[in-house]
Amino acid sequence: MSNFERAGDTYSLDLTLDEAHILINLVEQLLELLGEGDFFHHYDAADPFAALMSMQQEVVAPDDPVLMRLLPNAYADPEAANDFRRFTESSIRSTKQRILREVRAHLAILVDDEKAGTVADLEADTWLVALNDLRLALSVRLEINEESFELFESLPDEDPQKSIYAVYYWLGWLQENLLNLL
Amino acid sequence: MKNENNNSSLGGVDTLTDIDAALHELLDRPWTCIVWDDPVNLMSYVVFVFKKLFGFSQEKAHELMLLVHNEGRAVVSSGSREEMERHVQSLHEHGLWATLQRDDKI
Repeated sequence: MSNFERAGDTYSLDLTLDEAHILINLVEQLLELLGEGDFFHHYDAADPFAALMSMQQEVVAPDDPVLMRLLPNAYADPEAANDFRRFTESSIRSTKQRILREVRAHLAILVDDEKAGTVADLEADTWLVALNDLRLALSVRLEINEESFELFESLPDEDPQKSIYAVYYWLGWLQENLLNLL
Repeated sequence: MKNENNNSSLGGVDTLTDIDAALHELLDRPWTCIVWDDPVNLMSYVVFVFKKLFGFSQEKAHELMLLVHNEGRAVVSSGSREEMERHVQSLHEHGLWATLQRDDKI
């Protein structure tokens, strides 16, 4: 099982190649969902027009439930929520994108060389937030609730959902592992 | 030692001062930042975020995290609207579900 380790002020993480692939694919898909398509994709090519067009849309609450969880309304009142969104959403998106890009750059070192290994000089805050955003995104798709772990354990191994749950709980394990080192 | 004799009268003054300060706070700082419970964020991560963003001690951050977890929500900060909007923005950047509203007491 992969592990974070502390090295002075920074951290390192041992990953198998499979784990690095899983992580970088999730990071890239989330980056794209957040409106950033302008990078080399390890899984698929992006439509450059998508990013261009999304910038011209009026800022309203996102339709996608994952985006709605990552960029929630700040006010119960819809008008106040939209005003807040107009002034802050692009900044919150940029912060999330910057963090995911940084994580992606570390993972690309392993993935581009097609080998397992250790990624070093990691910042705890960056990785904690990135792992959290990935977990939030998966949790919406999996409709995670208090009973989900029991459901995961009861799923037969051949159920395709089972591996997605496994990734979700693995990300939580990684995040907890890093939190314990702080 | 002398002050002991005056404690009863000073108590009255202190109470008035407290009420005045509390009123002042309510009128001047009528916004609160609320964090809502969700089944995803790890308890230890929520504690980490509270410590990082608000400078809380481990104990205070842990206490607030439990309040969120047990009550479904907790007020984590109160102050001016601009200040609370900045907090909500930072909490959203860290993936916590946060909103702001006028203090219920007003």
